[in-house]
Amino acid sequence: MAYFARRIGFFLLTLWGAVTLNFLIPRLSGGDPAQAILQRIAGKEARVDPAQLAAVRAMLGVPDEPLWRQYLDYLGNMASGNFGVSYTYFPYSVSEVIGEAVPWTIVLVGVTLVLSFAIGTLLGTWVAWRRGTTFDSVLTVTSAFVGTLPFFWIALVLIYVFAITLGWLPPSGGFSGLLEPAPTAAFVADAWPYFILPAAAIMITGPIGWLLGMRNNMVQSLGEDFARFGRAKGLSNRRLAIAYGARVAILPNVTGFALALGGLIGGTVLVEQTFNYPGTGRLLLEAVSNKDYPLMQTIFLFIAVGVLVANLVADVLYGVLDPRARRREAA
Amino acid sequence: MHARSRRRSRARLAACAAAAALALTACTGGGGGGGGQGSGAPGDRLTDEGRVSHLVLGDFSGQTNPKANYNPFSATALGPLWTIYDQLYVVNSYDCTEEPQLATGYEWTSPTELRITTRDGVTWNDGEPFSARDVAFTFNLLRDNPALDTRGVAPGLVGAEATSGTEVVLTFEQPSFSRSGMYLQTLVVAEHVWADVDDPVTFTAEDAAVGTGAFTVKSFNPQRFTVERNPDSWRADTVVVDEPWFEKADAGGQVDQLKLARGEYDNNSMYVPDIEETYVAKDPEHHHYWFPSGSPISLFMNLEQAPFDDVEFRRAISVGLDRVALTEDAGSGYVEVASQTLLVLPGQSDWLDPTIPDEGYLPYDPDAADAALTAAGYALDDSGRRLGKDGEPMRFSFITPQGWSDWTAAANSLKDDFDALGIQVTVETPEFPTLEQDRLVGNFDMTFGVRAGQCSMFQNYDEPLGSANAAPIGERATTNEVRWSDAHTDDLLAQLAGTPDADEQKPIVHQLQQVMVDEVPFIPLWYGGKWFEFTTKNVTGWPSAEDPHAGPDNQHLIFTRLTPVTG
Repeated sequence: MAYFARRIGFFLLTLWGAVTLNFLIPRLSGGDPAQAILQRIAGKEARVDPAQLAAVRAMLGVPDEPLWRQYLDYLGNMASGNFGVSYTYFPYSVSEVIGEAVPWTIVLVGVTLVLSFAIGTLLGTWVAWRRGTTFDSVLTVTSAFVGTLPFFWIALVLIYVFAITLGWLPPSGGFSGLLEPAPTAAFVADAWPYFILPAAAIMITGPIGWLLGMRNNMVQSLGEDFARFGRAKGLSNRRLAIAYGARVAILPNVTGFALALGGLIGGTVLVEQTFNYPGTGRLLLEAVSNKDYPLMQTIFLFIAVGVLVANLVADVLYGVLDPRARRREAA
Repeated sequence: MHARSRRRSRARLAACAAAAALALTACTGGGGGGGGQGSGAPGDRLTDEGRVSHLVLGDFSGQTNPKANYNPFSATALGPLWTIYDQLYVVNSYDCTEEPQLATGYEWTSPTELRITTRDGVTWNDGEPFSARDVAFTFNLLRDNPALDTRGVAPGLVGAEATSGTEVVLTFEQPSFSRSGMYLQTLVVAEHVWADVDDPVTFTAEDAAVGTGAFTVKSFNPQRFTVERNPDSWRADTVVVDEPWFEKADAGGQVDQLKLARGEYDNNSMYVPDIEETYVAKDPEHHHYWFPSGSPISLFMNLEQAPFDDVEFRRAISVGLDRVALTEDAGSGYVEVASQTLLVLPGQSDWLDPTIPDEGYLPYDPDAADAALTAAGYALDDSGRRLGKDGEPMRFSFITPQGWSDWTAAANSLKDDFDALGIQVTVETPEFPTLEQDRLVGNFDMTFGVRAGQCSMFQNYDEPLGSANAAPIGERATTNEVRWSDAHTDDLLAQLAGTPDADEQKPIVHQLQQVMVDEVPFIPLWYGGKWFEFTTKNVTGWPSAEDPHAGPDNQHLIFTRLTPVTG
C-alpha cells in the first residue's frame, strides 16, 4: 500500500513542478506573438504596417498584470479546463483547436504504437527462442541497422516511391478536402489512403526498439538459474520460453509501452510535419513557431500530464505484475 | 515435429503477406487525391453557359489547420476574402492607377473632408440593397474597434456619415490626402449584419459571409475552400469562373512544387527554385510566370553610431556593394537591382526625377569606394584592415533572420563586399522575433529592412525618413529604424502631406529622391519579387510581363478580366 501511496504523492509533486515550468518558460523566452502573426500574414518580404501591429496587439489582449497574478490565474484556468483563445487561430478557443487534432494523432499513433509493440514483442520472442542461429544474427543486425536510419529519410523515400513515382497513395495531408471531416463511414473511406504512408513510415522503425529489448531480456532470463532448473526438470523449450522466459522479459516492455502511450499526444511531430498530417504534433510545432502561448502551454500541459500519468500507471502496473518490486520497496 | 511446425508457420507468414499486399493495392484508386485535375485538355472545363467550371488556386492561409473566419478585418481572416467582399476602389499595384469598384468617384472637398460617391444598383449576396450607409458604418466600425483596424484607417478619423443613398462623407482631424489610397481600399461590410454583433473582434461571420463580391462561400474544410459565382453580383457578367477552389498547400513546399509542375494549379504565388526547368519546361505552351518587382529590400545602417553617421562614409559604401552578384545569390536571378531613389522601377518611373543620373542605379566601383573612404579619413592599415576615426579596425555585425536563407545568402554577399574594402563584418542570424525587437530599438550595426514600394509616395518616404517615426536608441521606433532625423526631409514630407494634386506632388518627391541619393540614409539593394505563376489551359487574360494590366495581388481586377479557353 505504501508503495502506491508514495507513487501518487510523487506524481502530484512532479505535476505541479511541470505545470509551473510550463508557465514560466514561454514567458522567459520573450518574443512578440503579434509580430510573428503579422510577418506571417504579410509575407517575408513585405513591409509590416505599424497600424496592423497595434491592431493585432489590441486583438490578442496581451496581459500586463504582474507575473504572480498571471500565474494564479493560469493555475485556476488549467484546473477548470479554461485554456483560453489561441493566437494563431483567433478567435477559436484552444480546446476546440486541440479537440480537432487529437483524434488524428490518437488514430495514427495509437494504432501504430499498439501494432509496433505487438509485432516487436512477438518477433523479439521468436528471435530469442532461436538465439544463436543465423536467423537470430541476421534479424538482430538488420533491425539495428534499420533503427539507425533517419526517420525523415525513410518517410521521404516512401513518399517519392509510392506517391510521386507510382502514384498509388497521396503524398501528404490527412484527407482529400472533398468531404468535411466527420465521423462517418464516407469520410473514413476518404481519409484511409492518407493514413497508410505515415503509418508505414512509423512501422518500419517502430517495432525495432521493442524487438531488440524483448530479445535481450529474454536471452537474459533464459540464461538464468531458474531456466536451467526448469530445463533440467524436463520442461520443453517452448513452454520454458513462453511461460517463464517471456513473462519475465516482457515486464520492462510493458512499462515502456505505458510510457510510450503517455507521450502519445506530442510524440510524433516529425511524422506529422513530414506528411502534413493534421494531428497534435504538427499543431505543437506551429504553436511554438508562432509564439502562440495559450496553445503551446496547453499542449505542453497535456504532454506533461500524459507522461506523468503514464509513469504512474507504469509504476503501479510494475507493482501489480511483479511481486518482487513490491517486496523490495517494503524492505 | 519441429520441421513441420516451421513449414506451417512460414506458410502462414506468406499468406499474411499476400493478403496485406492485396489490401494495399485495393487502395490505389482513391489514392490520387487531387492528382487528376492537372491533366486535361484545354477547353475541358467549359460549361454550357460558356464559362469555366472551376479553377484550382493556391493556399488560403489560416495556418496548417484553417478555421472558418470570414471577418475581413480580423488578423486571422482567411486569405481569399476578396472573393466575397469588395473595396471602394482598387489601386493597381503595378502602375498605381485607381479602378472604381463600389465607389464611382471621390473628392477631397477640404484637406480634412473626403466625399465619396458610391455605386448604384448593387445588392448584398443575401438580397438586401447596398447603400452609402454601409460604407459609413464600416468606417465607424473600424474607428470604434482598434483591434479590427489592421490597415490603420482609423487614427485621425473623426467619423463617417452617409449624406444620401449614394454619398458618404469622411471627416478627419488633420489633412489626410496622403493616405487616400488606404481609405479607398477598405473592404465594405453590411450594416444590417454587423450592427447586431456583440463583439466584432471575435465575430467570424461563419454563417453570414455577406458581401457584394463576385462569389459566395460554397464549402469550407481545412484542406479546401470553395466559393461559387454569384449570378446577382454587380459585375456577374465579367466573371467567367463558376467555382474557384483554394487548396491547402503542404507545409514543406516540395510536394506543392511538384503539384505546380504537373499543372494542378491554374494560378499560384509560390517561390519556385529554377522555375524555367521545374515549371515552364513541363508545358511550355501553357505554363507561364511573372515576377514583378515589389518593395525594395535595403541595407539599414544604424545612423546613431559612428561611422554610419558620417555621410561621406555612407556615400562611399553605396558604390562599394555588388548588387548584381547579390541578386544572383539572394533571388536566384529572379529579382532586380534596386534604385537608390527608393522608387520601384520601371513601374513607378512616372515619379522619377530626370536630373538624377542613371535613374538612381548606383554602379559597383570598389576602387572608387576605397578612394572615397580613404579621403573621408578611413584609411587602410598595413594589414589591409580599414581603420575608423578612433584608429581601431572597423568591425560590425550584420543581423538577418534565422531561416530566411535567401537573405542570409545576400548578407554573406555583402560581407564579401565589405571584406574587399577591409571592413570586417560578422553575419549573425537570430530568431526573427528577437531580431525584430533589436531592429526597432536600434540594437544593431547593420541589417536589412523592407520599406516603400507602395502607391502612396508620402508613405514610401515618410515611413523610413520621417523623424516622428524614429525613437531614441533603446525605445521602439515605429517605422524609421535607421533613425534618420533631418529638418529638410521633415519639411518636404510636411509639404507632401498637404498637397493632393499629383502634379504638384512630383517636384516634392523629386527632392526627396535627391535626399536619398545625396545623403544616403540607407541603401536599397534589390526589389523583393512578387511570385505569380499561371496556366493558360483553361483561362487566358492573366497579367504578365507582356501585358501588365494588374499586379499579382489585385485579384479583384484579375478575376474579372479572364477569358475562357474554348479548346
